Amino acid sequence: MNATLNAHMQAIARAVGRMRAQPLATCLSIAVIAIAILLPLGLYVLFDNVVNAASQLNTEPNVNVYLELATSDQEAKDIEKKLRAHSNSAQVTFVPREAALADMRKRANLSDLLADIDTNPLPHAFSIKLRSFEMSILEAMRKDTLSIPKVETVTMDFEWAKQLTRFARFIEHLVMLLGGLLGAAVLFVVGNTIRLQMLTQKDEIVVARLIGAPRRFVLRPFLYFGALQGALAGLLAVAATLGIGLWVGGEVNAFVASYGGNFFTQGPSFQQSLSVITVAGIMGWLGALISVSMYWRQIETSR
Amino acid sequence: MITFSSVSKRYANGYEALKGISLTIENGEIVVVTGHSGAGKSTLLRLAAGIEFASTGNVLVNNQNLAQLKETGISVLRQNLGLVFQDHKLLFDRNVFGNAALPLEIAGFTRIEIGKRVRAALDKVGLLNREKADLVSLSGGEQQRLCIARAIVNRPSILIADEPTGNLDQAYAATILDLFRSFNQVGVTILLSTHDGSGLEHLKCRRVELEHGVIVR
Ligand SMILES: Nc1ncnc2c1ncn2[C@@H]1O[C@H](COP(=O)(O)OP(=O)(O)OP(=O)(O)O)[C@@H](O)[C@H]1O
Ligand SMILES: [Mg+2]
Repeated sequence: MNATLNAHMQAIARAVGRMRAQPLATCLSIAVIAIAILLPLGLYVLFDNVVNAASQLNTEPNVNVYLELATSDQEAKDIEKKLRAHSNSAQVTFVPREAALADMRKRANLSDLLADIDTNPLPHAFSIKLRSFEMSILEAMRKDTLSIPKVETVTMDFEWAKQLTRFARFIEHLVMLLGGLLGAAVLFVVGNTIRLQMLTQKDEIVVARLIGAPRRFVLRPFLYFGALQGALAGLLAVAATLGIGLWVGGEVNAFVASYGGNFFTQGPSFQQSLSVITVAGIMGWLGALISVSMYWRQIETSR
Repeated sequence: MITFSSVSKRYANGYEALKGISLTIENGEIVVVTGHSGAGKSTLLRLAAGIEFASTGNVLVNNQNLAQLKETGISVLRQNLGLVFQDHKLLFDRNVFGNAALPLEIAGFTRIEIGKRVRAALDKVGLLNREKADLVSLSGGEQQRLCIARAIVNRPSILIADEPTGNLDQAYAATILDLFRSFNQVGVTILLSTHDGSGLEHLKCRRVELEHGVIVR
């Protein structure tokens, strides 16, 4: 046990030694890998914050029903009854066209616009609070409502939520795709540095094998080298994400705060950061393993 | 103990470097293989170290048939041998200390233990004051002594040395042979080759002479 631990410690020490022997090359490849990780990670964090911000907005969902302009008060009353009778309506509020206009006039920026208008351009309307927000039920409700005579339009002002969900799914796929592509890039970058490492270490590998080094003695430092490089790049990417978050977040927050929102509040969480670093380390290890297996035979037969 | 029974070695190019070799090296013995250049001395030693394998016949080291050992078995075997290569096989990106330390790193010794053993080995071959030196600054003879230091650093029970005195002047060759004798006195089995038998007069050993892949004496 102690000997095994010691062997691993020495493998790590040799991996670190090789990194320190070529500080520039090491830093460069770590930076390249970090950038490859930063892209999907940054996108994910940004997206996470958008969704978070969106869910903070007032999203009390309701349905607005607008009637045709030429609808009498009596007809409106009949429609109100029908709306109340719908299984999905929890509360129906009548908004008479006069009230709607008065409300509109109160808004300073619109009063100028409305000053010249003699006739009321607004229709009677209803605002409905809902029992269920399930998409299929809502769609059915929209259909039912539109089929009532004199109903002109039905707006469901949580449509944006639907859009957001669609957008979210799109971003999710994008993150996955980018993550996959850039994961491959990490494998490639690490694989290539390991290949170069193996070429420069060729003599040592051959001699070590000649005097009895088992395969694992030769392979371990390369695997640790790859894993370390990946993990360091992961750490760098997380740090960069947090840094960018602080830098950009401050600006965005000031801007969004003026709209009563609170936008950029989260970088990657501790747990997320840890998993990014771990996954990057594993990718580095994998890249090294692939590279080492590819070039092993070449080196073994070259003595 | 190393046993060759009816061993032939034919290289991939078809050249038969050894023919029908039967030879036993008992524990604690010193055996010196001599012969002209190309006689097959290095081939014989490489077969004993499991670096090459017999085309026909068997090579046994400590009663293990090398042809039947798996890769890890060969590794374990080589770790327990001290090997001196004719072309040294030193690492020029490591200093003297680093080269001598390699077998101990492989065996997984601690830093402190490595330091002690490496210095003891370097002392024996007269390179202790050069431990930090770059390999390019070593003379041919010094490189050869470093190679011997690397071979003995792990205190092997069998030492296989291919022309260990080839680049040394008479005085140093004698020192190295003295060193081998002192190892032998504590029980180390020694198989070494040399193209000329000079300097061996004082070494109590068994001589085997090869000629074109055949033992003639
Ligand atoms: N890998 C190889 N492939 C083909 N032929 C080889 C190989 N190694 C050695 N030989 C041939 O086998 C013969 C014996 O070689 P070996 O190296 O054993 O000789 P040696 O006695 O050690 O010679 P020297 O004193 O020059 O070192 C030589 O003719 C050599 O050319
Ligand atoms: Mg030879």
